[in-house]
Formats: sequence, C-alpha cells, structure tokens
Amino acid sequence: MSVLDDLTTPSASADPFSVFRALRESDPVHWSEAHRAWLITRYDDVSAAFQNKAFSNDRVRPVLERKRQSGAESAATGVLGLMTGWMVVNDPPVHTRLRKLAAGAFKGQRIAAMDAMITRIVDEHLDAFLRGSGPQDLISEVAYPLPATVIATMLGAAPEDRDRFREWSDELALVAFGTGGAARADRHERALRGLREMESYFHTLIEKRRAEPGEDMLSALMAKEGDDRLTDDELVGMCALLLFAGHETTTNSIANSVLALLRHPDQLDRLRRDPALIGPAVEELLRFDGPIKVLNRWVVAETEVRGRTIRPGERVHLVLASANRDPEKFAAPDALDLGRSPNPHVAFGKGIHACIGAQLARMETRIAVARIVERLPGLALAEEPEWKDVLASRSMEKLVVTHS
Amino acid sequence: MRIGVDNEVCEAHGQCSIVDMDLFPLDDDGYSAVGPDREVPEGEEDTARLGVDACPVRALKVLS
Repeated sequence: MSVLDDLTTPSASADPFSVFRALRESDPVHWSEAHRAWLITRYDDVSAAFQNKAFSNDRVRPVLERKRQSGAESAATGVLGLMTGWMVVNDPPVHTRLRKLAAGAFKGQRIAAMDAMITRIVDEHLDAFLRGSGPQDLISEVAYPLPATVIATMLGAAPEDRDRFREWSDELALVAFGTGGAARADRHERALRGLREMESYFHTLIEKRRAEPGEDMLSALMAKEGDDRLTDDELVGMCALLLFAGHETTTNSIANSVLALLRHPDQLDRLRRDPALIGPAVEELLRFDGPIKVLNRWVVAETEVRGRTIRPGERVHLVLASANRDPEKFAAPDALDLGRSPNPHVAFGKGIHACIGAQLARMETRIAVARIVERLPGLALAEEPEWKDVLASRSMEKLVVTHS
Repeated sequence: MRIGVDNEVCEAHGQCSIVDMDLFPLDDDGYSAVGPDREVPEGEEDTARLGVDACPVRALKVLS
C-alpha cells in the first residue's frame, strides 16, 4: 500500500494531520516499514488498545538486557536501570503497586492547592518577557523554564537549584531518546555524568525530607500506603520520572496552545471575552494539537485489530494526535472550537497508564495560557515556527512572537 | 453528598481516578466502579466535585 507513513520527515512534522487523515482513511492499522511498527490511527482502535493486555508497557527492560549482554558501559546501563523502575514502563502488578504509592501525591486537592504557586511562577516569567521588546521566543523565555521550575518548587528544592532541573530534564531526554553519532556520543557521556549528579541530589533531598517532612510533593511520595512505601531508589526514580514526563510535555502543551490561538483569532477573541472558558478551552487545545503524537507499546500476545493480526515481538505506535482528529468521534475535528463539549480526547492516554500528572498539566496550561492571553493583548506571531522531526512529541523549535 | 456513574456513558478515560483513586475506583478494565449511587465521606466533597468535573464524557454526576 503506497500511503505516506514516515512520521519523521520535515513535511510530516510540519503537517502531521494530513498524513494521519490519509492513514485513517486508507489503512487505519498500518504496518510501517519506516518505523518497523504498526501505526494505529483511528480513535476507537487507539482507545481499545489502551485496554488490550496483549500490548505491554514493559519496553525498557528488553533494551537494558541487550545492553548488558553486549557489555555496554556501566553508566548508560545505570540510567536505563533507573528508568526500568518507572511505572510508565511496567505492567501490573509492578505498575499497580507504584501507581498506588504515587497516587496520594497527585490527589486533586493537593494539585488544586498549587494554584497560587504556579500563578506566581508564571507571572515571574511573564514579567521578564514583558521587559523585553521586539521578537522573542516564548518557548525559551516562558514555556520551557516554567514546568521545570514548578517541578523543582513542588519537590521542595532550593530556588538556586532550579536551573539544574532543566539540565537534568534535557539529559534524561537525551539518554532516553538519543542514539548514534560521534558528537552525540560525547553529549551522551556528559548527560550520564549529569544524571549521576541528579541521583545523588535526589538522595540528599530525600534524607532532608525524612529528617524534616514538609508539605511538598516529595514528602507526600514518601508517605506510607497501608504497609507499603517507596524505597529510596524508587523515590529517586519517581522524582526523575516526574521531571522527564512533566517538563517537555507541559512546555509543548503551552506553546502549541498559544500557536493554535494565534492561528485562530476568532477563538482567541472568544477566550479574551470569556476568560471562564479556559477549562474547556485547554481540553480543546490538547485535542487539537496536544504535546504527544505517539505512544508505544510492545506486543506480548497475538491479537487482532480491525482484521489485522499483530504478533508478539512487534511494536505498536498508538497515534494519539490522529485519534484526536478522527471524524467518527469528533464533529468537524479539524476545527478549533474552545467550547467543545463533551471532549473525550486521549491527549493524556487512557486506562491504567493514563497520565498521573494530568490534573497538574491541565492546571499549568490553564494558568499559563490564561495569563499570556490576559497580559499580552498585542501578542502576534513574528515568524513561521519550525517543528522538530521527532516521532513521539509535537514540538516546535521556537515560537517567536511580539507583544506590542 | 452522593455521587454516581452512568456505566452506559463511561468510556474508561480514568481521569476521575487520577483525582482520587479511593473516591473513584476503577474496575480491571479501567471503567468506573463508583456505582449508581455512593455516599461521599464527610470532608471529601471538594475532591468529589473535582473528580466529577474531570470526566470528559460527563458519565459522573453529583446526585445530591
């Protein structure tokens, strides 16, 4: 079948939605040679896949085992070992236990109580942005530093340590996604050294909280649940996961939302006239151009999707960004309608692995978008953004705007 | 305060359970196990409202 199925070409990165539309229409469960994976693009199939026990999240352990067998250097296997413990790459019952132990820290009331702290951090970044004039990058100045600062503050880190959280977040992404190339090998080495620092930093922070518990999220993660609690190594892993999963995704949620509003001035006006619309507006912005294009699963048992047999050992890409534009689920899916309701998008996934930080991500995006819209009335796009050629995330290089 | 779920409407998004997995339990397939009518423990009313509001398909309701 001659359907375009490489999602990492510059044209597919610039406009993935026309590629997704063609896939949904011509071959919704498609084997892609380019990705060596199945591309699942319709809402119903993506939705069902989240509940299909033939699809496993245990994706890092096989990579780690291969590396160990080939005698790869210990630093890389050390970081992979840390990631192997993340709940997001585990199946039940390991996943169930970790998720239960983490759930208390993400409870609705606890997240809602962070409102004032997040608003203050957003306003600090916008104050600095407003002091600048001419074209500025809203990502590097606001959307990128913001979530790392929120995570560092949430974990109770000292203000002077916050910049290191950003570096660690970049280093985690490099180790998780980055491979090949001599220049990259050098960066990889430095990233691994940085992450060893991160581990010892979190161990020290845990010891401090043990001696002196606080109201912060780390103290909440350390709490007992029944007879069980997270070990120190699991806590370090949880802190790293929080940073890895909560940083770039939130940056892109904010940046993609602002871009979508700038491209739909009628909807931007609508939000300015009715700021109370921010809740449903953010749901629609997440549906319309959310931060994640693709989630992966390993196939561990033979299963059938829309008549296609999918076999153990194969990989499946669940294309969230396509499911969210499926006309069988959403009326006029390519239109941005900030009042859309109901809006059962799958930007946060679904089922047992649904993003545990969804409430926090929503709140950060709501506050950031609302404050940007309110405080930057003259906001305008200064140049066409370029999209990164990556499979998993929907991510711009820069979002250059003017505000007066 | 009482809450309930319409299991004909629930699509297993799991967003309620993120708000509070004790107030909004899920079954093994990720669907709400709140049942048609459940009492909210005293002091948990605000959390219950947050969980009901988090449902993207409005399968959850505050009954009284």
